[in-house]
Amino acid sequence: MALKKVEYPRDLPGLLAQLADADAGVRRWAARDLAQHPKAATALCARLGVESDASVRAVLFSSATQLGGASVVNAMVQLLRSEDPGLRNGAIEVLAGLPDAVAPHIERLLHDADSDVRIFTVNLLGDLQHPNVPRWLAHVLMHDPVVNVVGAALEVLAEVGVAESLPALHAAKARFADDGYIGFSADLAIARIGSP
Amino acid sequence: MTVGTKPGIQAAVPPISDADFQKFAEFFYRKTGIHFDDGKRYFVDKRLVERIQATGAENFRAWFVALRFETDGAELQHLVNVMTVNETYFFREAYQFDCMVNNLLAEVVARKQPGSRVRIWSIPSSTGEEPYSIAIYLLERWPDIDRYDVEILSSDIDTAVLQSAQRGIYSKRSVAQLPHAYLKKYFTPHGADEFRISRDLVSAVEFSRVNLSDPADMRRFRDVDIIFCRNLLIYFDDLSRRVAAEAMYDTLAPGGFICLGHSESMSRMSSLYTVRRFPDAMVYQRPLEAGA
Repeated sequence: MALKKVEYPRDLPGLLAQLADADAGVRRWAARDLAQHPKAATALCARLGVESDASVRAVLFSSATQLGGASVVNAMVQLLRSEDPGLRNGAIEVLAGLPDAVAPHIERLLHDADSDVRIFTVNLLGDLQHPNVPRWLAHVLMHDPVVNVVGAALEVLAEVGVAESLPALHAAKARFADDGYIGFSADLAIARIGSP
Repeated sequence: MTVGTKPGIQAAVPPISDADFQKFAEFFYRKTGIHFDDGKRYFVDKRLVERIQATGAENFRAWFVALRFETDGAELQHLVNVMTVNETYFFREAYQFDCMVNNLLAEVVARKQPGSRVRIWSIPSSTGEEPYSIAIYLLERWPDIDRYDVEILSSDIDTAVLQSAQRGIYSKRSVAQLPHAYLKKYFTPHGADEFRISRDLVSAVEFSRVNLSDPADMRRFRDVDIIFCRNLLIYFDDLSRRVAAEAMYDTLAPGGFICLGHSESMSRMSSLYTVRRFPDAMVYQRPLEAGA
């Protein structure tokens, strides 16, 4: 005789309880079904902080993207500071899927005191489909003091650069004239943009 | 997408340059996994010019910038639709059926008792060519067919195509890739130009309506050993594709396999699966040891 498993109702309280079930399969299904419950956004994001199973994490991130909204964006912005690269990369993926909701946060993130957060924000811009991306990257090239942040922006601009990016690319070359990597990356981005 | 001049004014679009093609091909590959090399220049250029004209963009660059930064993904979806050819026929991409009978099923049944059930799911069923091809392959090319019960499930979101699949009437073009012996064995002529599939095969496939994006629909399917999900996810946006891939993960039995279309890549959708390379095909597997 096998032990009978706990039966949870598939309503909001039941699904939230299942997020902590010992069975990863039960947690995945709960995370998936909670994408239909906007009130679950905070709990889904909070679970990311303690969930150790990669397959459950993946579903938590997908459901968070489906829910979107301010609480999800705020939680993902906080995860950009995580020491766990899986959480950081997952947060970037979620934020990239919410371009309109994350746009108001970008300028603040690009001025964050932590240069790693600024690099992750530039990485996010590489995936973000938003018309302000070239302008945000140009700002990084013109003003960010840290070479690694500027280098990350140059990598993105090599793919998404537009003619309007050229003055900022030349400015970055001038600001870091002694840095061969910046010069090479800027020249590459300039060449790929080509003549207007 | 709104750019440049008014749509409908058909100004001549400058030819697509080598650099334009390269830029587009890299972007499209990153977004969809579909790779276009120089051999496809005519095909791609023609459709790019059509999209540039349809959106009213002045040139490739204006169109590409708008495509790259659009937030709703509508133009990318248009592109996917025109760059992919959606047709189905018996034994399409048959190398994956070869892989099924030569490799996948041996691994699946190694974890089962003789007499137990093997479950194969074909989605989308479309008009039935794929699930019936699977049935024919199993009957003709899998020596262990008599040792196991095989359940073939097939689903589609479109109830009209499900009805068509159950009618089982096919054109000459649809059966053109079938070996003549199989055509003779499993079909009877129907009118002047069509063929009717055997009722035994129709009764061997369980058809159902399923929306891959609906968790309630997906929860009905469990312990599937092999999923064929080919040339469907390419039409989904990034998030829907990932959600579907994750739902199929829970539909599969641990160690189960999923076969995608030749231009689709699971590694672009989800990191949950393991890539398996077999002599006939590359497929994706739900790991055996992952959380149950």
